Amino acid sequence: MNKSGIVIRLAIVIVFTAVIVGLITTQLFYRFTFINEQALGKQSINQLANTVSPTASIASYLDDEELAKEVVNGLISNDVITSAAIKTDTLMVKSDNYQQSADTLEFVLFSPFQKERRVGVLFVKANEVHLGVKANNISVTNAFVVAIEALIITIISILVTYSVITRPILSIGKALHLTNPGTSDRIDKPASHQNSEIGQLADDVNVLLAKAEQQMLREKSLRNEVQVLESRFRMLFENATSAIVLIEPQGDILLYNETFEKLTEQLNLPLKKNYGNYLQDLFIMKKELHEQIQIAFANNESATAELELISFYEEKIWMQVVVTLLVTDDFQENYQITLHDISKRKQQITLLDQKANYDGLTKLFNRQAAEQHLKQLTTTRKPFALIMMDLNDFKPINDIFGHDAGDEILIHVSSQLLKSLRKADVLSRWGGDEFVIILPEASREEVINVCAKLSSKLSKPLHLSQHNKSVFVTASMGVSFYPDDQVELLELIRSADKAMYQVKKEKSSNSEKYLAFTSDITSLANESKQ
Amino acid sequence: MGSFKQIATLLILALLVISVKAEEPLVVVVNKHNPVEKLSRTELIDLFMGKYVAFPNDLKAIPVELNGEHQIKVDFYQNLVGMPLSRVNAYWSRLRFTGRKREAVFKPNETDLIAFIIANEQAIGYVPQSLITEDLKVVYILNE
Repeated sequence: MNKSGIVIRLAIVIVFTAVIVGLITTQLFYRFTFINEQALGKQSINQLANTVSPTASIASYLDDEELAKEVVNGLISNDVITSAAIKTDTLMVKSDNYQQSADTLEFVLFSPFQKERRVGVLFVKANEVHLGVKANNISVTNAFVVAIEALIITIISILVTYSVITRPILSIGKALHLTNPGTSDRIDKPASHQNSEIGQLADDVNVLLAKAEQQMLREKSLRNEVQVLESRFRMLFENATSAIVLIEPQGDILLYNETFEKLTEQLNLPLKKNYGNYLQDLFIMKKELHEQIQIAFANNESATAELELISFYEEKIWMQVVVTLLVTDDFQENYQITLHDISKRKQQITLLDQKANYDGLTKLFNRQAAEQHLKQLTTTRKPFALIMMDLNDFKPINDIFGHDAGDEILIHVSSQLLKSLRKADVLSRWGGDEFVIILPEASREEVINVCAKLSSKLSKPLHLSQHNKSVFVTASMGVSFYPDDQVELLELIRSADKAMYQVKKEKSSNSEKYLAFTSDITSLANESKQ
Repeated sequence: MGSFKQIATLLILALLVISVKAEEPLVVVVNKHNPVEKLSRTELIDLFMGKYVAFPNDLKAIPVELNGEHQIKVDFYQNLVGMPLSRVNAYWSRLRFTGRKREAVFKPNETDLIAFIIANEQAIGYVPQSLITEDLKVVYILNE
């Protein structure tokens, strides 16, 4: 049994109360009994005195000692009287142990014939010890009865309490202990407590259990919903073709998806916790990234940039980077960075760019690209030399050996020309067998040197395997300087063209001639006019 | 209470009897040579109920009684101690039981009684007033 169980506690309280009440009752009862016995004793003494008073009166009246003795002896033979005495004017008859004291009872004796005539006094002493003993005996019996009563009441109280209160509560407690909250388990109402407080308790517990069950079910369905939603989000996130990363302002990665993981593998980088602010370490052009972000965030927009990734491989990887500022519920700033692979698109654009600006055969700039380049130079007013070059006797070769051979020669020429040019110089196929060479900031001497180099390179023979024949080509070159010769681009080209034709014209007479300057022709023309 | 009522009834009856005999009160008499002239009621009671056996002058007294339940005797005790004769007799019976003897002389009638008093100087007795003679001395008159 539980030491602080209800039954034990109740038993202790009841026993304690019973003992205290018993003690108090016994004490009170003893006092009451004693007083009562005293009164009864007094009453019986009075009665005794009344009984003997006629005889005592006669004894006193006659001063008869014998009669008085008879009366005294008769009185002291009684339990309630210790001692007695009769006193008259001349006589004093008393019992052996008689002693005058304050508690002695006095009865005045009158003459039997004259009611107003006093003849003596009867003294009686009550037996206090006897009264006490009697009261004590009664009290002891009473205390014993009270104790038995208390014992019976205690046992009955405990039994009743146990069967009426404790057992049903214990059964409810046990049932509650075995109950699984959130299920359809309920507590049985004790049969004898259908309408009592304990029944009410069982009902309330059941209501509580029902509520718990309802709440559990609701929570369960809610949890399921959240789980489904989460799995969908996860699917969306993990299967996204773009790498998605959530980072803190200091660059610590909070979340990343599988695509990002693959990207790091692709870049041969270890999977780190931090790749610098906005993942800057992944990009070649960090400055541009920061610039774009600054501009976009100043306008409360997502930053978008197309950036090349650091890669150990030949193949370049380009990413469209979108950085979005996210503010969490607790006002923390995070960045969502999406990396969308645009390498393919970038390649296509490059291809398109090449098609538009390059000559398909010789892989040199085409006329359009050259013109654009020239336009750019003139708008920025940068000085340069423009060389217009035309192959000599290309048409007959073409006619004799066919177009394939012509193409072969053109490719050969292109590669030879490229070999003798600086990096900053631009070589383009102007059309047919015409080439335009742009030499930025070149002096006349430099141009002469370059042209000599070009001419010598061209003079190397080309072996046409198909025809088993070696051919070599020569070229005529006209040069004009910007802005010294012409400021207008079209005029500049035309003048270079003119100079070139001048060389062709003079070639019949001077086969060694391959170069002419616009300025020389102009001065010549001026001279001839004069 | 019952006894009290009885006593009351008896008293009333006695009074009626007394009133009947009112014309002739009872007197207590002694020998004319007796020095006692007058007796108080208490002295009379003490003499007749056995407390004293002598007159106040220490002369021995001999109370003279009538035998049986003589009407005069009944009237006398009724008058003197207010008790019926039966109770007075019971009183004497009790005393006799403790060994106390009564110093009294019993006479069958008034004539004998009077004669004893006349003959005896220590005697004292009661007679109706009408029977008083020269040789008797009245010391107390009842029914007054």
